[in-house]
Parts: sequence; C-alpha cells; structure tokens
Amino acid sequence: MSRPFRSRPRRWWLALGWLLALLFAALLAPVLPLPYAPDTTDLTAIAEAPLTGSHWLGTDPLGRDLLAGLLFGARTALLVSLPAAALATLLGGLIGGIAGFWGNTGLRLPLSYAAAAAGTGLFLLGFHGSPTIVWAGASAVAAGLAGGVALLGRRGYRRTVAVPFDALALALMALLASIPLLVLVLALAALYPPSWPGLLAVLVLTYWPGPARLVRAEILRIRALPYIESGWALGLPAVRILWRHALPNCWHTLSATFPLSVATLIGLETTLSFLGVGLPPETASWGRLLAAARLAPTAWWLVLGPAAAIIGTTVALRQLAVREPAH
Amino acid sequence: MKRYLLGLGCLLGLSVCSSPTPNHADTVRIRWARDPENLDPLVLPNAQAVETTNLLHCSLLTVDYAQKKFVPWLAETMPTVRRTDSLTLVTYRLRPEAAWDNGQPILASDVAFTLKVMSCPGLPNEAARAQFAFIESIQLDSLDRRRFTLAFRGKSPDLVQASGDYPILAEHQLDPRGQLRHISLAALRADTVQATPRRSASVTAFARGYAQKNLGRHPENLPGSGPYVLKEWRAGRHVLLQRKKQWWGDRVPAAPPQLRAHPKTLDYQIITDDATALLALRRGDIDVYPMMPAKEFVRLRQNQKAGDLAFYTADSYEMLAAGFNMRQPALRDALTRQAFSHLFDIPGLIQASQQGLAYPSVSLVSPTAGPLYNDSLPLLTFDPQKAQALLTQAGWTRNSQGWTRHPAGAAPQRLEPTFSYRAGEPAYEAVALQFRAAAAKIGIQVQPRPMEASLFSQQLRAGRLEIYLQSLSGNPFVYNFAPILHSQSTGWGNFTGFGTATTDQLIEAIAAEEDPARQAQLLRKFQRVLRQDCPLVVLYFLRYRLAAARRLTNLHVTGIRPGYEAAAIKSQPAGAVRP
Amino acid sequence: MGRFLLHRLLRALLAAWAIISVIFLLSRAGAQERPPASRLAEGSLSATTASPVQRRQAGQLQQRRLGLTGPLFYVSAAPAPAAGLGWRWHWNGRANQYHQWLRRLVHANLGVSFRDGQPVTLLLGQSLRYTLPLTVGAAVCSIGLVWLVAPHLGRPSWRRRFLLGLFFVVDAVPLFVVALLLLLLLANPDALAWFPAYGLGPEDAAAPWPVRLQALAYHLALPLLTLTLASLPALAVPLDAALRHELRADYVLTARAKGLPDSLVIRHHALRNALLPALTLLTELLPGLVAGSVVVELVYSLPGMGRLLAEAAAAHDYPVLLGGVLLIALVRLLGQLLADWLYTLADPRIRLPV
Repeated sequence: MSRPFRSRPRRWWLALGWLLALLFAALLAPVLPLPYAPDTTDLTAIAEAPLTGSHWLGTDPLGRDLLAGLLFGARTALLVSLPAAALATLLGGLIGGIAGFWGNTGLRLPLSYAAAAAGTGLFLLGFHGSPTIVWAGASAVAAGLAGGVALLGRRGYRRTVAVPFDALALALMALLASIPLLVLVLALAALYPPSWPGLLAVLVLTYWPGPARLVRAEILRIRALPYIESGWALGLPAVRILWRHALPNCWHTLSATFPLSVATLIGLETTLSFLGVGLPPETASWGRLLAAARLAPTAWWLVLGPAAAIIGTTVALRQLAVREPAH
Repeated sequence: MKRYLLGLGCLLGLSVCSSPTPNHADTVRIRWARDPENLDPLVLPNAQAVETTNLLHCSLLTVDYAQKKFVPWLAETMPTVRRTDSLTLVTYRLRPEAAWDNGQPILASDVAFTLKVMSCPGLPNEAARAQFAFIESIQLDSLDRRRFTLAFRGKSPDLVQASGDYPILAEHQLDPRGQLRHISLAALRADTVQATPRRSASVTAFARGYAQKNLGRHPENLPGSGPYVLKEWRAGRHVLLQRKKQWWGDRVPAAPPQLRAHPKTLDYQIITDDATALLALRRGDIDVYPMMPAKEFVRLRQNQKAGDLAFYTADSYEMLAAGFNMRQPALRDALTRQAFSHLFDIPGLIQASQQGLAYPSVSLVSPTAGPLYNDSLPLLTFDPQKAQALLTQAGWTRNSQGWTRHPAGAAPQRLEPTFSYRAGEPAYEAVALQFRAAAAKIGIQVQPRPMEASLFSQQLRAGRLEIYLQSLSGNPFVYNFAPILHSQSTGWGNFTGFGTATTDQLIEAIAAEEDPARQAQLLRKFQRVLRQDCPLVVLYFLRYRLAAARRLTNLHVTGIRPGYEAAAIKSQPAGAVRP
Repeated sequence: MGRFLLHRLLRALLAAWAIISVIFLLSRAGAQERPPASRLAEGSLSATTASPVQRRQAGQLQQRRLGLTGPLFYVSAAPAPAAGLGWRWHWNGRANQYHQWLRRLVHANLGVSFRDGQPVTLLLGQSLRYTLPLTVGAAVCSIGLVWLVAPHLGRPSWRRRFLLGLFFVVDAVPLFVVALLLLLLLANPDALAWFPAYGLGPEDAAAPWPVRLQALAYHLALPLLTLTLASLPALAVPLDAALRHELRADYVLTARAKGLPDSLVIRHHALRNALLPALTLLTELLPGLVAGSVVVELVYSLPGMGRLLAEAAAAHDYPVLLGGVLLIALVRLLGQLLADWLYTLADPRIRLPV
C-alpha cells in the first residue's frame, strides 16, 4: 500500500476519480441545479424513456426523475450501504478472527470473574424493581460469588474457565442466518420505529456472519503456519499475534469480497424498505430504482442507470482495496 | 465436463424441437396469481377458493353477472318473504331436477344439514358461523320435502340474499350415519368462546370424520352439486376442473344462464409473476388473463389492434380510499380533514397509476349506481389554495416550521401527519408520494410510512395510524356501511373512528330500507354527510381489465370479482375465428 | 474422529433447538388476535351479515382451534413492583404453547399448516421435490463452470479481466432482473421462444423416465440458468483472490519451474490451497439448496421451498414456517460441521478443538 502515487496505474486513478465523483454527487446533490427533485412525482411522465421528454435520463413508473434519483441515491449509498458494509466486515472480521484464533479452549477467564459476571447477569434477568435496590443486589451477588470462588481452595482465585467462543460464534451465525428476515424485521418493527441508525444496525446484524465465516476459515489456516508458531515461541501476547500477525493476512480475502458486500447490502436495504423498516419511500436509493424496474420490465433505463452506478462503485472499491501483484 | 455440457445442450435442443403442443379445443385456461390454498367449502380463504367452490358446489341463490342481481340457482324461484313483528320468514323451494351425482334428490334436509355444519364446533367454520349466525332456525315443510322456511331477526333485504348464499353440502356424503340429525342448531351454537359445554359424542365423532376427509386439499372427497368436478390439483401449479357428463342442470327445461356450463375443462394456471403471465398470454399458454395490470393492458391493446386477443374492461365496485383517523388530535375536526382531501390530485393519479382505467366518485357509492349516486355533489378538486384556507379556518397558523395551533385547554398541536399504507403496492406509493409533495408545497411535512401487510393491519386496528390508504370493495346489491363506518365496528373494520348516534341510525336505516326511492334518498343524504365530515376520501373506483383469446366469447366480464364467469365461456373452433 | 463428530453433532442439535425456540417465540410473540382470513375480510362492504361482536368471536374461536391461546412460554413478564425488589417473571406452568409445541416436536410431529390443515412434513417434502432438482442442478452447473474458468483466474490476463467484469455486472443486477431478462430474451414470442415461460408443464406419470427427465430439463432450463449465473460471482470472486494469493507462493514457482502448464499448476496445486476459504461457502451452499430461491420460483411459477416459506411467513402460517426454518437450520449446522471436517482434510495442519 505504500507505493508512491506516481507509479499507480491509470485504473487506480480512474477508481479514485469515480469514488470522489460519488462523494461530490452525495454532498452537492441538494445544491445542483436539477430540473426535478428526487422525491416529487411527475404524474404526466410515467416510466418515460431517456431523452424523449423533459427528463434527461427518463423516469420510473411512479414518475420520479432518474437522474435526480441516481445523484441522491449516491447519498444513500454513502450514508447507509458503504458504512453498513464496512461495519459488517469489521465486526465479522473480529468475531471470525477471535473464533478461529482461540477456538473453544484458547480463551480463558479467571473463574471468579466469570462467576461474578454470570451471577450479575442472572440476577438482573430474574429480578426487577427500583434501580438502586437492583444494582445494590446485583453488586452484592457479584462480590459474594467472586469471593466465594476465591475462597474455594488455596488456588481458587487462579482457577480459570475456557470460554467456548468458537461454538458460541458458530451458533450465533447459524441463528442469524436461520431467522427469516420477515420475522426478524417484524419483531424489531414492533419495538422500534424505523430510523437511520436502526436500519444500519439491522443491516450490520444480518450481514456480519458472511465475513466472519471467511475470516474464521483463513485464521484456522494461518494459525497452523510456522510464523505464528514462532510468535508463540517468542512469548508474544496472544492479542498481539492475532492483531498484528494473523488478522492482516486475512485482508486479501476480505478486500476481495467487500465490494460484493456493498452491492448485496444495497439490495438488502431495498428489501428492508419494502418490509417497512428501511428508508422512507421519498429517499432515493439505487436499490429502489432497480426494484422499480419490476413494475415496468421493459424499462431498460431503470436497470442500466443504477446498475452502472453500483458496478462502477464496486469495481472502484475493488481497484483501491486490492493490491495487484507486481509483474 | 465439456462433453457433459454438450450432452445437456443436445438434450435441451432435442426437447425444444419436440416440445409438446397440447390439444385444447374445449379447454379454457385461465391465469391465477396464487393458489386457492384451501378448497374446504367452509373455509374459502381467498378469491380463487371462492371461484372454485362456486363451480363445484351450488348455492340456493347465485349472482347473475349480466344483470348484476341475485337469481335462483338450487332454488326454484326467488324466495317468498313474510314478516312477523320481530321475525323475517323466507321460504324456499328447491328445484325438482336438483340432484346429487348419485341421483339422490337435493332436499330441504340437506340445507338444514348445511346450516348445522356451518355451526358445528370443532370444524374450521368460524367465518361461516359468524356470517350465517343471523339465521335463527330452519323449518322443514312436512308435506313437501323440497320446501323449507328460514327465520331470522332483522329486516334488511340483503339478509334475504345472504340467506341463500352458501354452498349446500350433501348429508349422505358427510354424515351417512346421521350423527347431526338429532342435534338442534341452537345446541350446536351454544358452544362459544365463553362457554364450552360438554360436546355430545356424536358431534365429536362427526368433527373427527370431517377432519379425516381432509377437504382442504381433497375437495373431491365431497362431490358437490355444481357442474364441475376437481380432476387434478397440483398445489402452486394448476387446478383442473372437468365438466360433469351428467349434471342435473342439463335436465332443467329452458335452463336460465346460471344453469349452463359450457367449457368441458377449466384449467386454472397459477402464474405468480405478472410479467411471466403476460408472456404466457402472448404465447398462447393461457386464454384468459383477468385483473391485468393497467400499464400492460393498455400497451398490449395498442399493439394488438388486430391480433388474436380481445380486451375487455368493466366498471368495478372496488375503490381506493384514504382514511383519516379521527381519534388523533390533529385530525379531530372536519375542516382539517376537508383541507387534506383537497391535496389529492385524483385525475393525475388515475392517469398515472391506472392509465385512465379508473373513475372518480364523490363518495362510497359508484357513479354507475344511477339514482343512488349523489350527483349533485361536486367531485373533489385538487386545490392546495383551498386546503390552506380551510386549515386557517380550522385554527392552524403557518410559521417557519410548519402549521401549529393552540386549542384552548389542550396541548399545542403540530400538523405533521404520517401517511401509512401497505408496502409493495405501487398504486399506494404513487398516492403517498403525490400527497406528500402537494402537502410540502403548502408547508406541511407528511411522513409516508409503508408497512408490511400484517404490521399495517395491526397498527390500523390499534388506531395508531393517522392518514392511511385502504382498498374497499363494494357490490351492486347491498348498501351496508356498518362494517366500515358504524361506531360499533370501531377498531374492527371502522378505522376512522367515525360514527355518532345520528350516523349510526342513518347507516342502519339505509341497510333496512326496502323501498328503492326512499333508499336512494337516504343514500344521497349519507353521501352528503360523508363529504361534510370527511372520515375518508374515495380516490377512485377501479375498472377491471381482462384480456382473452379472441376465440372465446360470452365471458360475462363484470365489475364483480372474479370479473368474468368461467362456466359461461363459449369457445369457437379455431377455424371460425377471423383474425 | 468418531467421538469428535458425535460431540459436534450433539452440539449442532442443541444449537438447532436453541435456534428454533428463539424463532418460535419471536414469531408467535407478534401473533395477535385477527379476524379469520376468509369471508370476513376487512374493508369489504359485502361481508355484512356478521356483527362486529360476531367477527371478534370468530377470530377468538379460530385462535382457539389453532392452539394460539394461552400463555406462550413457561414464564411471562411480571409487572414491576411498586417498591423494592420483585421477580421479573411469572411462572405459567407446563400449560403453555411452547411446551405443547416442543412435545410434539420431540415426537417428530411438526404439526399441520394453519392454512390448509396439511401435515408440515408433507408440504416440505412436496416443495423439496421441485426445489432440489433446481438448486442442486444450479450448484453443480456453477461449480462446474468455476472449475472450467479457474485456470483463467488469479493471474493477470485479458480473460480474467473479462470474467471478473462479467461477474461484477451480474452481481450488481438484482436476481429478478436476470430472471426477467432471460425470460424476455429466450421465452418471448417477439424475441426467441426457445423455452417455456413458466411452470413444469403437464406431468404424465405414465411416460417413461427419459421423457419425463427431458421435460423437466426443458422446463427447468431457464430457472437453472438464472440461478447458475447469479451464484457464480460469490464463488468465483473469492476464489480469484485466494488463487492470486497462492500463485505467489514458492511451491507454485517450483511447479512452474518443473515446466507444468499453468492450468495444471492451478488445478492440481494452487486450487487445493485456495479452496480453504471457499469451503466456508459450503455452509451457505447447503442450506441454500433446501431453502430454494423465492425470486426465481416466483418469476418462473415453480412451487418450491422458497415460495412455500415466503407465503407461510406472509400468511403467519407458523407451523410451516418453523418446519422450514428447522430443516434449513439443521442443514446449515450440518454444513458447518462438514466444512470444519473438510478443512482438516484439505489442510492436515489444521487442528480443530472439540
């Protein structure tokens, strides 16, 4: 990544140019002199083809301007899809990395801490009442358990328990992947009104298992490699081995799939809007423009415009993220 | 690998050449968007199931689509009605020709049995039970085994029609041992949510026997009196009905239209996607495409001026309405609601989302209803200026943040309504976006809220929505607004919170009125009240659209679901059709 | 190894039980009293003869018949105490919906559908009959295609650029667009009407099996093509990344130095190492095989598993929904197990803790 700028290939500059253009479109969309706003419907121009009327790039079946939709959709992509893909990759990478690295037995906690944490959790789960009393009770339980364990034996305070992180992570992934999206969304929608952070949370929540699985597999392989062994032999702390030596080697896997994640999340965001927890219908997004093509299967421009935008973005991201081998 | 691919290619190539061309001289193939799911005559979960059941089973009365009125079907004539001071007595006589497939005549005892089945606990008959609970008793004629009298409270004419509108089931098929014969209708109905008396052994045995027949998926276990039998049903793929060779209707001399069934085979093809269905129609895989999307319909009609397809439209009784939840503080006064009603660009919406295949109305009555329609009321206009004036009149003042008002003795209010609708319906979304844009022009921030269907109806019943969109379906026979506007229905069909003692009385009077002239007068009054109080705004009535192969005639295309009459369809031999 | 597998299998079953319990509670918690779906439809001016009270009772009777009354779980939330400390939960005993359901589940009884009273196992089996040929066919085709193009991946060439470009295009276009596009190109009387537009055609049980197979292949060709196209990018793009990583390794240099052609180097040496991350895709692929694809089944009108579950979810047909989810979750857990086992096969240095 530290090559001098001068030697970057032209493709790299093109990619950077595209993403900058995207950023500008997102920032400047409200002040650009667009003939139509993205959220108003022109009832006289329904599913109009490009260059036939006053809409340069045509309209969707509800009479919304495609050009405005594309430009304002860039905002949505930048505010929702990209952060969601980045957060999901980060979270998935961390969970997958820890699960693969420590497995079920590698991560050990002092028994007294574990007992105190479990006791507090159970207490809070079992009782409720005024906050002061509850917290006082929980602290008393925690202190009692921790002390009790320490007194168990002479070396009780040094006893540790293994945290089966790998099994937990795998079960959680299977759980999240098994819940039908509709059930999850309805359960959430009954609790929270739709909002931007909520949407981001749902997207990250449903998408992190993918990257996690990839990183877990990579770490399983890397863990057995000699240089990690030598790291252990040198007595390096585990966190440092994971963070500085193991995880960076997963980068090539993650960076290859990250652009695909963006495209997937744009689609997922549209599905969520359809279920009523996503973005409000007046917010333009590329996914929604693509979905509008469903109403008018012959309106090729509705596919071409947003698909080109998504392809451009994913290819540009890939170009920036992936290190090409020197040749 | 390459060799395998080549082999696969050859296989596909072969099959392309040898693709079968089915013989369909007497078959009418109709497109359905979904599976009927359950063909138990007591359940009828969707329009497809109703349509099939009407071909498999006969009711006492049926709808004549051409005349848009009820006509006798199993009944010999329309029933005679007598009124005592509290009861309405309706006497039917069954047609002497009416018979089950084994030759046994259909008798009044079968009707009595059907009523019992519809009330029998332990069966999936909750809806039928609620709907026909108004029939208090049935009296069989001791002299004439085909004559019987139904008694019920209430005087409205629609009860008479409803008293004959359920499929009659064969007692000898379902209850050969007469397990229900000695149990009274009242005893069966005593089993309710609140009270569950000990069920007699014969009722339990009957319910078990009924469940064992598995009629939901195997309706062929209960042969009906209708002109068709179920030949094949592949869930999610197609339903094949075959005309009975010997149907009692054929023996009726000078049979009226409802007793004729022309197609030898009816093949309902389930095609879930509209675009796919359109292709299937173009390819000749299906003959009838009912409820076609407006855009495709118009485009195809323009392209196919002289093609092999015929295009039909019919004014329907199905409308799209925007409701205002009057229980919300900001929408409590009529002036505010009236102001909002002027923010819908109805002609624009009709053109944009229905391609002009819809028509506006002043209220819940179709403009085609003649004297019943209040034509002295003007159609709603799209007039943001007037809306602003009305809002000012309602006490709202506009400032830089929007519209606010400070009612005496209440918290200050802001005008920022939410606009909720069922997600996934483009016509709804078009209305929401148009309304939002129009409101934004006069400084009102409207928040569109598309919701998943079940979430939407849950919130609607809980009264948590403010402005909402809903499809309402009416019919040409009955004017009973109680389910959607009576104060007793609040939360269960009436989501606007509309209804005072006066309007409740008016609704009941309309439903009970027999004299057409007086009913027209009441209806016109009700339409005026609705316009004044504005609990809901009818945006437009739909026009049903149907495309069919040109060789088919006599489709009886109407504005009543399903929009055509399958049994009436006549097919000309292929040579006789001029292109 | 046997003990390892048994241990993992037991854990998978435990996980499946936890998953299905969570989904049971999540889905039923939202189940509220509704009017019966039939005749008494809301917004209809014709279902007039039932009074509001009768409608409400009909809804309650239906809930009772479907077993949706009574407490949901062993415990339910207790109201907060006015002062001091109180139990957060109220004990309901064994007479609750979850207990009833679990007891039936233990006896391998998934219940009957709320919509048509059919046993859930029967419905799932019927749907699998349509889904499996499609999804397995698509999986075989796409894996075969990836195998075919693998020699062109991982090293710079115009072919790789073209392939990757193609994959990105296919990935950016939603599945329904791909499906509709193929339909409009290959089943359209205005373009090429080579394939049927929908369904599986008339089924003739008397026909000999080659004829039936041919009819099936003919009708499944377009859905198969759609699914194959759609699943290619997710397989090929990570493989390309892994291959590029591997091709820089020393053993590849050695193999090349021996004079092996590039395609052999990739297929025999690099692919094996590059497959490891791709094995994780197995955990997605296997459940995908039984879950089907809603979009493809809707566009081509195939009564498969995807459509069954989507319709069940929309109609709140919980027994069918839970049965389907249970099946998919079990297959998914088996896939995880299988993937972990295959890791150790592909790279014996990997040791998996029990």
